[in-house]
Amino acid sequence: MHRHHLTVVEIAEGKLDPAAALEFVSDPGFGGITMFVGRVRDLNHGRDVTGISYDMFVPLALNGFAEIAAKAERDFDGKLKLFIGHAKGRLGIGDLAMVVAAGTPHRDEAFRACRQVVEAVKHTSPIWKQEHYVDGDSVWSEGCSLCEGHDAAAQAHEHDHDHHAAEPGR
Amino acid sequence: MDVHVKLFGAFRDCQPEPQVVLALAEGALVADLRAALEAHGRAHWPNFNPALLARSAFASDTSVLRDAQPVPAGVGMAILPPVSGG
Repeated sequence: MHRHHLTVVEIAEGKLDPAAALEFVSDPGFGGITMFVGRVRDLNHGRDVTGISYDMFVPLALNGFAEIAAKAERDFDGKLKLFIGHAKGRLGIGDLAMVVAAGTPHRDEAFRACRQVVEAVKHTSPIWKQEHYVDGDSVWSEGCSLCEGHDAAAQAHEHDHDHHAAEPGR
Repeated sequence: MDVHVKLFGAFRDCQPEPQVVLALAEGALVADLRAALEAHGRAHWPNFNPALLARSAFASDTSVLRDAQPVPAGVGMAILPPVSGG
């Protein structure tokens, strides 16, 4: 039984599908489902953004998604299903960059599992974004160094740098 | 041995090709690969940023490798600048 769906979607070939994510993590025994959808927004550090290019080392990213899912499986006693999806390529404003869904028996685990997985993907997956600005400039985001040996467990903490794209309210 | 290193993120802006080939001694460590890439960058990339390399990790297709680990023979490597997914 496949309890976790891990996917990378090349934007030229398709889009992330939140409805499919919800369907995948559904189960007769699961009363709670949570989902995070990260979208490309039009402003970064006060500058107008036209899009974001996501570069990715796909085999290592998928390997990392599997490790993140395995850890969540252990942390939540195996009572969950996960969908982890990330887009690759040049995305426009409003395009979906990331979809994570978690299904569990109750809401508390669903919220916690989804948050844990989202933070782990953002902080450990070999994915790089480059913002494209209205003035023609393009800038790679600073990001999290993988040199410090962080594991997924250490990721749900505050960072002193900005994770600005694909998050609401900034 | 020749080690192929795939370039990602900001390192893609250093040259048109997506990878470099570096010559290392048999049994070289990841630290040696790091030193070789730094020497290559200083010699060939006008926009090379040593500080970015210092914050970057090396990896195979399956795992991130630390500086004290040997470079696996016959395996492609990658240089991973700080990540920014999501």
